[in-house]
Amino acid sequence: MRGLVLGTALVGLLVLSGAADASGADDLLAALKQARTLEARGTVEVTVLFPPRDLPTKTAGALPRVPFRPGLITRNFNISRAGQEAVAGRTTTRFELTPKVGQAARWTLWIDLEWNIPLAYQESFPDGTPARRAVFQQVSAQPARVKVALPALPQGLRPAVLAALPGLRLPAGIQPVGVRSRPNGGLEVSLTDGVNVFALVTAPRGVRAAPGIASRKVGGGFVWLVGNLPQNVLETALAKVGRGDTAGLGTFLKVDASKVQTSPAPQPAPQPASQKETP
Amino acid sequence: MTDHDLDTLFAHARAPTPTDSGAAERFLGRHRARQAQQQGSRQRSLRAGWVGTLLASAAVVAGVTVLRPAPELPASAAYGVYQRAWGDGW
Repeated sequence: MRGLVLGTALVGLLVLSGAADASGADDLLAALKQARTLEARGTVEVTVLFPPRDLPTKTAGALPRVPFRPGLITRNFNISRAGQEAVAGRTTTRFELTPKVGQAARWTLWIDLEWNIPLAYQESFPDGTPARRAVFQQVSAQPARVKVALPALPQGLRPAVLAALPGLRLPAGIQPVGVRSRPNGGLEVSLTDGVNVFALVTAPRGVRAAPGIASRKVGGGFVWLVGNLPQNVLETALAKVGRGDTAGLGTFLKVDASKVQTSPAPQPAPQPASQKETP
Repeated sequence: MTDHDLDTLFAHARAPTPTDSGAAERFLGRHRARQAQQQGSRQRSLRAGWVGTLLASAAVVAGVTVLRPAPELPASAAYGVYQRAWGDGW
């Protein structure tokens, strides 16, 4: 009898835990949807440590955009709520995004409790140190209205990329989202797992080895893969790439990134954090 | 032939005549001309050898330059593409 009660309690805890995770995912996706129409303004400290640059930190008036894709986020990441924290004097809920498979970078997002939009986010290396971080230092009294359009994933782009580069093994959960041509020949394919961004490049010349870069000679040219992934993952992705024909990608050229139009927002239009969104 | 005849012959042979001098001049003239001709020929072939070597070296240098694989781009080229994929603001 005592065992039965204990078992029931454990099952109940597991169910509650799952419900809490589902609720966390729903709340985060609702906030990301809200961020397509509402944006905090003020002073943001933007730090990028990967890729390395001379001045890793700069200041901006709003958070840099991250092309969040809710459908891929729920497919590729476990989302958990990690309590409340203050950002620039405002109360936020901290959400943790951990990859379900693979070794993609983890993300942390701080969502304003009242406005239900991000006030900070951070991409972390596997050891937890930041690779990319943007945090409000000061926030204006009211958020601004914006209109962020996120283009749909181009139908047929993934098979076209795999046909153009036979043998390519994209890491788990990663999808191509756009193609553009390079000035000196070759193509740049943008990839994402919902949060992280990667670049696949065909070029007439190779590129020097460095952290986050893999390059492989294929036929008369080269293929590069760039992103915040362990070196062996990048190299494995390209290890069996053979000579292909990139002509099939031509129809996907000039896929624009998200376009943003901003306008003054005299009145905020916050929505409750419990709002649901279809990814 | 008597000893007297021989002495007379030797005496004539030891005394050079204008005919001998003319023959010697003709011989030496032809010899000098041949020498000069051979020296000019050697110099021409020497010049031709230098030009050939120079042309061959130039061809080798040009071939190596053309056929050598293009040097790798710096890592910043790949990082630039990655940064563009993130978009503005970062």
